[in-house]
Amino acid sequence: MILTIKILGAFLTAILAFTVGMFYGGLRRKITARVQNRVGPPVYQNFLDLLKLQAKETNIAHGFMGHIAPMWIIIASMTVLMFIPILHNGLWFDNLTFKGDLIFILYMMVFGSLGMAIGAGQSGNPNSAIGVTRGLAMMVGYEIPFVLSLVAIMIQFHTTSLQDLMQYQHETGRWIIMDNPFAFLAALLSSLGMFRYSPFDIVGAPAELASGPVSEFGGKYLGTMMSGGAVFAFIKLVLFVDIFLGGAGNTDLQGVWGILAGLGELLLKTFLFYMIPVFIGLVSPRFRTEQAIRFFWKWPSILGIVAILWAVFHPIQ
Amino acid sequence: MNSLAITLIILFAGSILTFGLDTINRKLTGWAAFAILIFTAIYFYGTEHNSDFTFHVGGVTLKWGFSQLRLIFINIILILSVLSLLYSIDYMKDKARLGYFYASFIMTVLGMMGVVLSKDFVSLFIFWEIMTWSSFLLIIYNAYYKIKTEGLKYMVFSAIGAYAMLTAIVFIYHYYGTFDMATAIEKGVFSFENHSFIPIFFALGFAIKAAVMPFHVWAPSGYANSPMSFTAVFSGAMSKMGIFGLLLVFTTYYVSHTPGGYVFAQVLAWMGGITAVMGTIYALIQTDAKKLLAYSSIAQLGYIVTALSTGTKLGVMAALFLAVLHAAFKGALFMVAGAVERQAGTTDMTAISGLIRRMPWTFFVALVSVISLAGVPPLGGFIGKWLLYEALITESHNYFLVIVIFFSSTAAFLYAYRFLFGLFLGQEEKETKNVKEAPLTMLIPMLILSIVSIVTGAMPGLIFKPAAEAMQTIGFSSMDWQMSVLSNVWGNNVDMSVIGSFISIVFVLIFVFLTFKGRKTTRRVGTKDISSSGELWKEGENWTFQQDFFKPFERAAAPFYKLKMNNIWEDLGNALEAFFNFSRRIYTGNGQTYAMYVVGFLVLLILFRDYIFR
Repeated sequence: MILTIKILGAFLTAILAFTVGMFYGGLRRKITARVQNRVGPPVYQNFLDLLKLQAKETNIAHGFMGHIAPMWIIIASMTVLMFIPILHNGLWFDNLTFKGDLIFILYMMVFGSLGMAIGAGQSGNPNSAIGVTRGLAMMVGYEIPFVLSLVAIMIQFHTTSLQDLMQYQHETGRWIIMDNPFAFLAALLSSLGMFRYSPFDIVGAPAELASGPVSEFGGKYLGTMMSGGAVFAFIKLVLFVDIFLGGAGNTDLQGVWGILAGLGELLLKTFLFYMIPVFIGLVSPRFRTEQAIRFFWKWPSILGIVAILWAVFHPIQ
Repeated sequence: MNSLAITLIILFAGSILTFGLDTINRKLTGWAAFAILIFTAIYFYGTEHNSDFTFHVGGVTLKWGFSQLRLIFINIILILSVLSLLYSIDYMKDKARLGYFYASFIMTVLGMMGVVLSKDFVSLFIFWEIMTWSSFLLIIYNAYYKIKTEGLKYMVFSAIGAYAMLTAIVFIYHYYGTFDMATAIEKGVFSFENHSFIPIFFALGFAIKAAVMPFHVWAPSGYANSPMSFTAVFSGAMSKMGIFGLLLVFTTYYVSHTPGGYVFAQVLAWMGGITAVMGTIYALIQTDAKKLLAYSSIAQLGYIVTALSTGTKLGVMAALFLAVLHAAFKGALFMVAGAVERQAGTTDMTAISGLIRRMPWTFFVALVSVISLAGVPPLGGFIGKWLLYEALITESHNYFLVIVIFFSSTAAFLYAYRFLFGLFLGQEEKETKNVKEAPLTMLIPMLILSIVSIVTGAMPGLIFKPAAEAMQTIGFSSMDWQMSVLSNVWGNNVDMSVIGSFISIVFVLIFVFLTFKGRKTTRRVGTKDISSSGELWKEGENWTFQQDFFKPFERAAAPFYKLKMNNIWEDLGNALEAFFNFSRRIYTGNGQTYAMYVVGFLVLLILFRDYIFR
């Protein structure tokens, strides 16, 4: 019985992540359009795009690594999804969360982009390779403040497990953002790089690199990548909400209502968090790569170091 | 006769035999050398080593013995050497001086085995020198006529390390009256409480072999210039002798955590961290694949040094795990570079590209090894990294060192991608159209090494078991380990078997989906058939992005690139040379000058006779 629920729950989680991710993407397009005083596409436009891509008859493959390139990003997003607790309560969204910790999640999150980079490299398009090198270089930038903030959280709470962090926030009712605000700020700033919206959209860089690593992909390949990307966007949001913003599903309601209330809480929190990179992106021009890296090595990293010092002097246990 | 002595004698005789065989039959030399090593391995694993071998010569007792810690390093040496020798047979086929090569190769293996087996300091030193000298012969193999530029740094630094060790050994005998390792350690040689220069001198010798910053300057050219089939052993096994030695120096600290030892361990840990960062930073600007791997080796050894300097259970476990894994993936990567060099003629990444269609199996090995090197789950490299991070965070509380290590391992993705892209991806060159896949005897060792990376990812317990036994012999209490679950002292777990099987399931599902959906209508095109954004592609042009690959990163990290250890050593060398030039003015070698000194001395004696001869 429990196994059946687990398997069904895993599928449900995947569908939820996919739908929410795609929907947020459409919402972002709509908001961007309204800010720029355009009408914009409908919010479900991303679903239409995906249907079109998957329905394409001609697909072009540039060799084996290019052929399996979308696979890596799906593997990465699905694995991370299974190891991140979606709701605090409820067997349905539990998945494999007890089997991995933060350092594993951190490493698994780069798996997808690395695999895709190899596929993009095989396509032979110089724009792809340039985009990949930019992306990897920028990753060295934003991972530093992110890891600083995660290490701060780990040593403050004496755990490397997301589950324990959520349990703490659930029991005390305190969000970790209050226990270590500097860690949150450092992670927030590095999340701007993770989402790759302006001013950090140097990987895809429209009008500069065609579309960067994905230039040579179309049809089913691009469609699969898009689905993986949507799930991945959702994962990043849930990760931040779980670590810093109290997680979701903290109500005392039982059964279906508890799950629904939890999902509502999750959607609200993730949406509000998502709007930060979106709105910053709307009003910023693009950085050059070295400017982006330097940005992350400066204030976000200093905040991260402050967060570690704060954690050392305010241990919680 | 003792089995350990027989093992070493087989190797010694084998080395001389192969040297002679070259003059009789060139073709057989490689196979004969391989047969000798295989025979040694079978003999060594087939016999039980119950007793130590003692041998009295010149008033000194030499003692060779066996323990679980030694077994791990012996495994690395023997397995990697056998595989590299199998690889050498085809790699070296068309080259000159085969006898010289194989004889030195087997002699190096003998040196390494001796270092690991010796239980007294005198034989440690003797084997250490055998290892250094025979590997020097291999470093200058490709640079026979320019020894001065290529091999000199290695020789000078090895000599400094060896003399430091010799000094320490002499002082051990002076202070403690013994050459025996176990007795001396019991008497507190490595306790850092009194005479703490002795362990430091030892550590200097070992750190030079492990290429720790600032003693690494011999390594890039040393690794890149020797034949690739030997570099696999050189970087994979011989640098681990430095690690083995450092573990030896740390044995007392691991048990009793003396304050002096703590300071030493912290310094060494940070040296390892800085080595990791600088090695990585320099690896990613290299345009030669061999140089890139050489710098990457330095960086990886930095992780291992940091791991063993933590002095905690997880940390030492991480060091042993990474030592084995580094031998596997770096051995495989150097072999890949050698295969590309042999088949395509060069390893210059700005000159060749797009070899993936020509050498798919080599690419597969490179891909697996690079993923393992970058520490991405689910392969073995990730487990080493995980253990290292958890050791630093949960046990030794080196929070800022974690960031340094993390920075270097994130930047490692850059050079990992550079290596794969530079050799195998991108558009195909016209010149590489006729390149063939490497021969089978070269592919098999590479594939075996990549399988090690894959299997240890799913079942790290295979290495945890011998490593835990080894740690008990150097004083750690028994270590809990599970076949596929990693856990830290805070009780958090990572279950590698669940992760591995989940990834495989998704892998298969998506692969089937991508392959069979619209299979008939999918057009398979070459790498020249791309969207060119309106540019016109001319026949014979190659658009692969190869020059200034990480220029933006170089600009962002510009301050790092100003730090060059080479310049500091060169300044030191120049200063020393100036000093020696000055002393040459006194010791001119001219009899008349010396006569003048004698006269001057007499005059001084006469002038001050009242004070001197009172």
